[in-house]
This record gives sequence, structure tokens and C-alpha cells, in this order.
Amino acid sequence: MSTVLHTHQAAPAAATGGPAKSRSAVADAGNRGRWWRFTLILAVTAVVLIPIMVTVALAFTPGANSTATGGFTLENFSTVFEKTLVGTWLQNSLITTLTTVLVSVAVAAPAGYVLSRGRGKLVSGYSLLLFVIQSLPIITSVVPLFILFAGMGLVDNLVGITIIYVGSTMSVATWMMAAYFDSIPISLEEASWIDGCSVFGSFTRVVLRNSLPGILSTAIFSFLLAWNDYLVAVVFLRSNETFTLPMGVQTFFQQNATDWGSVMAVALVMMIPPVLVFAGLNKYFSVGGIGGSLAGQ
Amino acid sequence: MTTTTRSLARARKGVGPGGASGPAGTARKQSTLSRQTGRTFAFLILPSVLLLLLINGYPLIYAGIQALHNGNLLDTGAFVGLDNFSSVLSSEPFWKAARFTLVFTLVGVFGSWLIGLALALVLRTKIPANGLFKVLLLLPWVVPIVVSSTAWNWLTATPTSPVPALFNALGLGTPLFLADPTLAAITVCLFKVWISFPFMMMMISSALASVDNTVYEASSMDGASKWQQFTQITLPLISRSTYISWILMTIFCVNDFPTIYLLTGGGPVDATTSLVVLAYRMVFQNFQTGPGVAIAFLMTMTLVIVSVVLYRQIRKSSTE
Repeated sequence: MSTVLHTHQAAPAAATGGPAKSRSAVADAGNRGRWWRFTLILAVTAVVLIPIMVTVALAFTPGANSTATGGFTLENFSTVFEKTLVGTWLQNSLITTLTTVLVSVAVAAPAGYVLSRGRGKLVSGYSLLLFVIQSLPIITSVVPLFILFAGMGLVDNLVGITIIYVGSTMSVATWMMAAYFDSIPISLEEASWIDGCSVFGSFTRVVLRNSLPGILSTAIFSFLLAWNDYLVAVVFLRSNETFTLPMGVQTFFQQNATDWGSVMAVALVMMIPPVLVFAGLNKYFSVGGIGGSLAGQ
Repeated sequence: MTTTTRSLARARKGVGPGGASGPAGTARKQSTLSRQTGRTFAFLILPSVLLLLLINGYPLIYAGIQALHNGNLLDTGAFVGLDNFSSVLSSEPFWKAARFTLVFTLVGVFGSWLIGLALALVLRTKIPANGLFKVLLLLPWVVPIVVSSTAWNWLTATPTSPVPALFNALGLGTPLFLADPTLAAITVCLFKVWISFPFMMMMISSALASVDNTVYEASSMDGASKWQQFTQITLPLISRSTYISWILMTIFCVNDFPTIYLLTGGGPVDATTSLVVLAYRMVFQNFQTGPGVAIAFLMTMTLVIVSVVLYRQIRKSSTE
């Protein structure tokens, strides 16, 4: 910081000596640099996106024993929807993910409010606890939960994995909500208390009503976590009918020769919802949830 | 930055309906309000506490018990004390997995940081379609790992896959990216970097967004070279974000399961088996719950200690 301030203050003295004639040369160099950087970033982006482009391309490419003419077909999609349970998997994924999003926002928002407005050792202890929990490997929880859920009939059951998803989004979701509530001035609530509003009433009617961006960020985080999960699904889901999409994609690899057209068709189906959410709600997207809350804007 | 300071100092600041905020109200009114507040707060936070107890508290205790027994998924088994820990700590696969986890984490954290930093710096300058590139480059982070690992598999797995074929065409032989132990380890690390660099790019971009451009103009008029600007202005300004993103990425890498498991399954010959993959295999493929949970428990304890220390550090730095 001190370096910055120092150079900043020293600048005007140096600026007076700047020759005016070289200005256009500088602009030229700047322009050339600009296009050079553009080309560089274009090349990097193209290379980075190869796996994604490959997925899209293969999903529309006719298979070995296809009757389609030309290089483009929707056959892979009709095949997988007819011959596999991809419709069921998609439905399972949507149900578990949307339930996770709704429940985790509904639970994390009030808890985040307490973390944001409360004080004392209990509240700060809870804040630390959440930070520690988000750093733990899910595998530690998975084994005991498997045993517990087996006794309750929640293995190979969408309710079971949804409970785990909600639990594993909880710590980060609460942090994200708390960070957002911190940005809402408390004077809004104070005004409502004076008007006779209860603490709970001012939370729901004043604070929540002004928290749509924070709620959306938290929802996106929970959505991606539940939609993309593989570890919980591979442990808890056993049969074709309860599979979510990540498990469904994997079933294609158990055959001798992988039918890449079909795999990529299912993969594309799985890729579309998160990409749509990201494209539509880009503004509210915060990488790594807690990272955004910790590092600030 | 202000959000940060606020969010981290949150717990200690006396703001809130329960806080002693100013001279307003009589003592009696204050105490009824704060008692009501306390009850409301308890009510608001209760569901989250219950869920944490169920999903994190109970399993952690149970895992602790399991780690001390030689049971399986159906039966707790006999009490064996610390035998699981001593057998795990003296086994070759554990240390091999620990070494791979270390390499995977180091490459994952610093590889993605370097690329993310470079891209964030280039995207900060004025170039055409700047915003579009920012969105496109985030895709590896958004696309499900199940999907991207499938594509990486198609690109690299067999000798006739596109990437080995390209190497062959260039006269570099036909590398077996997922079948050769060393190459498989490199490929998995590269895959992790590919997934993670957008996270770093976004963290650094948002830190850079708050930097005033005049600082750079002033320093270049002052005769500072680009490199000096980078080391003496840019790096110090993003140091806090960098620190936090390193911590989080370390946690992400150590706990990572799908990136490794979906690409290589931990093979060939365990070359890409990390601690999480090893624990998963022990419990769900070899049915050795005790040693498997012991590994998970060792990781958990390490991460608890590390994260408590780091949390303190971040909090300290945010109040400075």
C-alpha cells in the first residue's frame, strides 16, 4: 500500500516532462498490443473449450450404424430417450436439486440473519464451526450416514441424498446469506421495530424482501453443488430407477464398447441446466460461495 | 473489501437488535426486546443447527467410533483401539496416496492460480469482446465434472484418441495418457487445473476490479517497468484474495473425489489414488470400514486444525 501511495504522489512531477510527440506512437503500440492480447486470449479460450465443444459435437454426430446422412443428427437423443432411463434420471436430478435449493435457502437465510445480526460467543463460535465444516471431506460423513440411512430405508432413495445435499450446502449457504445481510443497513429494521414490527416480522418483511441478489447467489451455489455431485450419488444410489444424471452417464461406460454419441447426448442434457442458470443469472454467480463471501466484492 | 471486513468482524460487532445500541429506550423495554430477540434468534437458527448435527455432527462422532473398531458396513465389529490408525500409518498405499494428494494439491493450487492470474490480468486490459471471454472461460468451472471427465476421456484415453493421435502425427510417439502411471498423474493434475483456473480468475478479477487505474498510470510515468508494477502494485493489492483462494483451493483439492475417480478410477497401479479415493475404495470396495474411516478421520483432523488456524489468520488480517 505504501508503495502505491508513494508513486501516486510522485506522479505529477514526472508527468510534466512527458513528450507530446510520441503520443500517436504510443497509441499505435497500444493498439497493436490490444490485438495481440485479443489473439492470445482467443487462442487460449479455443483450447480451453475443446472438451466442451467435443461434447456438443459428438452428441449431434451420427453413430457407426446410423442411417443418417450428413454430419448432423438428433438420433442420439431419440435413442437415449427411448432405450435408456434418461428421462427418469433427468427428473430425479431436477427433483433432488430443486428441493435442495429450496430447503437450503429456507434454512440458511434465517441462520445467516442470526450470524449477521447476532453477537456474543455462541454466534461467533457457530460462524467458526461452519467454516471448519465446509473444509471437511464429505467421505467422512458418508460412511456413517450410509449405515444410519440403511436402517431407515433411505439408501437408494432420493429423499436420502437430498437430505445429505441440504446438509452439505448448509455451511457455505449460511455464510453467503450472512455476508449479504451484512450489506443491508440495520436502520431499515430499526425503523420497522419502531413501527411495532417483531424481530421475526422485520426479518421476513424488511430484510428478506431486500435480499433477492443474496438469495439468488446462494441458490445458484446450492444448485451447482447438488446437480454436479457424484460422490454421494455413487454411494447411495443403487438402481437404475433412482439414478440421477451423473450416475446415468456412468452406466454407458460399463458396456464393452462405449457408444460415444449416446454418452455425449446424455452429457449434453446434463450440461444444459447449469449452463442456462449460469448464462441467465451470471450477475449473481459467485465462484466457490464462501470464497466470494470471504474475499469480498 | 468492506464487505469482507464486515462479514468477518460480524460475529464480534455489537450490531443487531440484541445489541446495546445507543441510549434509546428504557432499560425495561430493552430487556424485553432482547429476550424476545434471543428467542427469535434461537428459533431462526435451530433448523440449521439440527441439520448440521445430523449431517456433520453425528457422522463425525460415529466415524470416530468406527475408526476404533474393525467392523464393516453392517456391523460395528470388535473394539481394536488405535490399531486401524497404526496399520494405516504404517502401510505403503497410505503414504503413496498421501504423496499423490500432495502433488495433486500443489499443482492444482499453483497451476490454476498462475493461469487464472495471467488471464485475469489480460482480461483487465481493453480488448474486444472482453466480457464474452470472461463468461466463456468460466465454463470449465460450471460444467459438471461428470460431463467434462467424459470429454477428457474421449480425447485422451486410447492410443487412437485425438490427443495421442495428434502427438503421433507430430512424431512424438503415442503417449498413453491414462494408462502410463506418470502420464496419468500428469493428466489428472492438468484436468484439475483446467477445472479450477476459472475460480482463480474470478477471485483475482474481482480483487483487481477495485484497483484504481491511475495508480498504474502514475507509476509508469514515474518510470516503473511493467514487471515492477506487477510485483510492487498488483501482487500486494491482490494478496488477500490470493491468500484466501489458495486456502480454499487447497481444501477443494484435498477433498476432491470426482476429478480423479471419474478420469482414472485411481489407477493405473494406484498412481492417481488420492487419500479420499483410497478411503472410498477401502470402505465401499474392500469393505474395510475401520481403516477407511481412519484415513478419512486423519484427513478430517488435519483439516480441522488447519482451517481453525487459517480462520483466525483471515479474521486477524481483515480487522487490520
